[in-house]
Amino acid sequence: MTADQAPRYFGARVSRRQDDRLLRGAGRYVADINPAGVLAAKFVRSHQAHASVTSIDIDAAGASEGVRTVFVGGDFADHEIRCVSSYAAFQESAQPILAVDRVRHVGEALAMVVAEDEYLAEDASELVVADLEPLPAAVDIDAALDVGCAPLHPGWRHNAFVRRQVKTYGFDDASSSAPHRVSIELHNGRHSGIPMENRACVAEHDPGTGQFRLHTTTQIPHLVRAGLSWALGVPESLIQVIAPDVGGGFGVKAQLYREEVACCLAARQLGRPVKWVEDRREHFVAAHHSREHRHKVTGYFDDEGTILALEADIAVDMGAYSVFPWTATMDGGMAMGILPGPYRIREYSVASTSVCTNKTPYGAYRGVARPAACFSIERLMDQIARHLGVDRVEIRNRNLLTGGDYPWRSPSGLVYDSGSLIESLEAVVDLADLEGLLKCQADARAAGRLVGVGLAVFTEQTAHTTQEFKQRGVPIVFGYETAKVRLDASGTAVVSASIHDHGQGLETTLAQIAADRLGLALEQVRVTYGDTEQVAYGAGTFASRSAVLAGGAVTKAADAVADTLREVAAHILEAAPEDMVVESGRVSVAGSPSRFIETSELCRLIYQRPERLPEGVEPHLEASRTYDAHPGTGAYTNAAHLASVEIDPLTGKTRVLSYAVVEDCGPMINPTIVEGQIFGGVAQGIGTALFEEFLYDEAGQPLSTTFADYLVPVMSDIPDFRVAHLQTPSPHTIGGLKGMGEGGAIAPGAVIASAVEDALSHLGAVIVDRLPLTPERVLGYIDAANSSGASA
Amino acid sequence: MAEISLTVNGERTAAQVDPRTLLSDFLRDGLNLTGTHVGCEHGYCGACTVLVDGASARSCLMLAIQADARSVETVESLSVNGAGLHPIQQAFKDCHGLQCGFCTPGLLMSVVELAATNPDCGRDEIREHLSGNVCRCTGYHHIVDAVERALNGVPGRADDS
Ligand code: FES
Ligand code: FES
Repeated sequence: MTADQAPRYFGARVSRRQDDRLLRGAGRYVADINPAGVLAAKFVRSHQAHASVTSIDIDAAGASEGVRTVFVGGDFADHEIRCVSSYAAFQESAQPILAVDRVRHVGEALAMVVAEDEYLAEDASELVVADLEPLPAAVDIDAALDVGCAPLHPGWRHNAFVRRQVKTYGFDDASSSAPHRVSIELHNGRHSGIPMENRACVAEHDPGTGQFRLHTTTQIPHLVRAGLSWALGVPESLIQVIAPDVGGGFGVKAQLYREEVACCLAARQLGRPVKWVEDRREHFVAAHHSREHRHKVTGYFDDEGTILALEADIAVDMGAYSVFPWTATMDGGMAMGILPGPYRIREYSVASTSVCTNKTPYGAYRGVARPAACFSIERLMDQIARHLGVDRVEIRNRNLLTGGDYPWRSPSGLVYDSGSLIESLEAVVDLADLEGLLKCQADARAAGRLVGVGLAVFTEQTAHTTQEFKQRGVPIVFGYETAKVRLDASGTAVVSASIHDHGQGLETTLAQIAADRLGLALEQVRVTYGDTEQVAYGAGTFASRSAVLAGGAVTKAADAVADTLREVAAHILEAAPEDMVVESGRVSVAGSPSRFIETSELCRLIYQRPERLPEGVEPHLEASRTYDAHPGTGAYTNAAHLASVEIDPLTGKTRVLSYAVVEDCGPMINPTIVEGQIFGGVAQGIGTALFEEFLYDEAGQPLSTTFADYLVPVMSDIPDFRVAHLQTPSPHTIGGLKGMGEGGAIAPGAVIASAVEDALSHLGAVIVDRLPLTPERVLGYIDAANSSGASA
Repeated sequence: MAEISLTVNGERTAAQVDPRTLLSDFLRDGLNLTGTHVGCEHGYCGACTVLVDGASARSCLMLAIQADARSVETVESLSVNGAGLHPIQQAFKDCHGLQCGFCTPGLLMSVVELAATNPDCGRDEIREHLSGNVCRCTGYHHIVDAVERALNGVPGRADDS
């Protein structure tokens, strides 16, 4: 393809390459993999939130039928997972592979039983007796930060992994001279991605070569290899990590877990493959949690509602340990950066504390801090609107960035490249038929029903690389992705990439890109991923980066291969390489389409008839390229969401009646896949808004350990969606692409809180400030609204 | 060990099983029918749904011995490799009704039952009937499109949305 040709597949709604195998039940997930001689592992986990480990009796378990070995902390004491931030004053923690002398959260592994099968391993695990001496547990942000609370890790001064503070020079003047201010405190419940596939891994070790092979449910195979290399003390050349089909990730599978290290160590020691398949209860207590933020925010504004300054105090409950590769600073840092959101805010003062508690460690979940940041700034906008008696759409229009503001340097130092904020808000008002919704609301109110409308606008940093991550203090800077493109002698292509597809459809969208660049039919391109042996390095799939970065790397690699095709075809056809057109399965001379060679024939010649090649051209049709979306500050997607809800006044149950999204992620490779990502994200966001929370009691006991206590949205909880697109290209990226995998999940908490508040607004003033909006909480807001209305 | 004899995907099968073996484990590990997935093992998520004598059942809540003398159908029964997709599978493909594919086999079996028992569902009824199958990826909209298309032949194609 050349620049002036229309792409055949880019932008087309082609159906997905992977669907046939997944629909036939022929996917290959980690739990489906059973190498010869495989043993089953079962972890024995702490029932105490915080305790000294006095002793662990494994004798009965070791003697149980079919048991090969029972490992305890001392067996793996030379290994740990440590993820250290480069921020000054960061306090380090080390995750033991199995607890040695202390457990710091319910679910921390104390022992690992390895037996001939899963049933026997589970039998034996019940015979392990751990003697734990309880210690006081720090189960929330305030308790952990209290001066009376003993530090949870040796050598610590207090229970904050890190505290950071930033203030713009003009903040003090702007805030002190502002005529109005509004302060709110917002709470986000602890929850996580809950993929339908639990975690699993199968570790193999070849004693002859010393090589490890780990099949694991991960989004980040190369980073898992890097982390394993550090934890095992083995060079990366001796570790192969394979992520086959993975049943959803959402961030929770974007970390190195202790179980992966344990299975590798056990496989080496026992000389047999070791497999672990997590059960759902373990997932609730041992897979990393997310989302638990508390923000105190103050907006300073003028009589028109123009924001003059923003102040925020952020605290995130990071649980017991710093996780690899993110460290324990990620959410706190991200929230600091993005909290000013899509608004023209110049003065900003923010403090952020990453708090260590006796809870499950905290990792990534779709949106990483952005849902909490969006909740805060959008709740604040609604309060400013109410304070001044201005419409919620109007207050946003007065503050949103406009086309002329780009590139915009936010007061936290982010550089927004482009966007269509006002346009997306205007479009969603039309798409959702706001006028019609307000009329329905008026009718419903007249009939005594509680119906509300809510909205939110946000900007989403995507595909950020070196510039962004070097500031985040992470030990590995996630700067690029890699793709390798190879044409074979039959003229078909294999594209291998460092990203992973666990639902995002990259197996299809990367094929669309490669097919266009190589002039092939989609069916002639096979995309592979998830194997560290296939491409040199890369970070993997997270942070809405894969389509942009892997798509860019595929473009570069495919173009390099196409250049070789042009050069050889030009030689054979006696024309100039720059006149060659690679298209529709052939390479032809521009302007004389009858002078061509079939691509398949050309590929065969290159590999099998090297004497036909021009001087100096290698018989090689393979290229590997990296892409970093320079300057690495990110491509900014934006969206506006608008929903309506109805509350049952007796039960407090909130039902989402309608939900509309206008999203601008630049040019779309495959709009159907984009819409699927938006819908999936919004449904998860509705879970954030209404249902999902890991609750703990005062002793640090988790109360949400089954799907009966931790509710996820089911089909009847979710409405049909309306979606429309704007397409503002990024000036930074190949093809103008922007990422969008996380966006859907960012706004629903803010949107639904706004709608619930609106549904109660005629009863009295109340600020909806806490998620999820469970029926009990909503009943509380109804009572508060009623009593404020009665006293007004 | 107990001897069981049952029909799986139309084939007579006899096996020795430990009485405590779950049907899901028997299908996956004993018969290598790994299309049936396990998402919770407590009867909530529906990933493990199979048909037992034509009615949907959670294979994680059934023992293999309870399937003795019965007929079990799994996702692998819908189409065999090489043959075309079953119309329900095709509708899911056409409407982008799956992402990671983990919930998909169980969901397809629930839709097979729905098509047999209640083929005239509208979108709301589809949502009610299938609310025992959790999907974490799709947000359900495209699944409802797919089911609507499969049941009613209503044009629920992804490119109409
Ligand atoms: S695995 Fe059977 S219902 Fe979840
Ligand atoms: S497609 Fe992933 S859970 Fe449904």
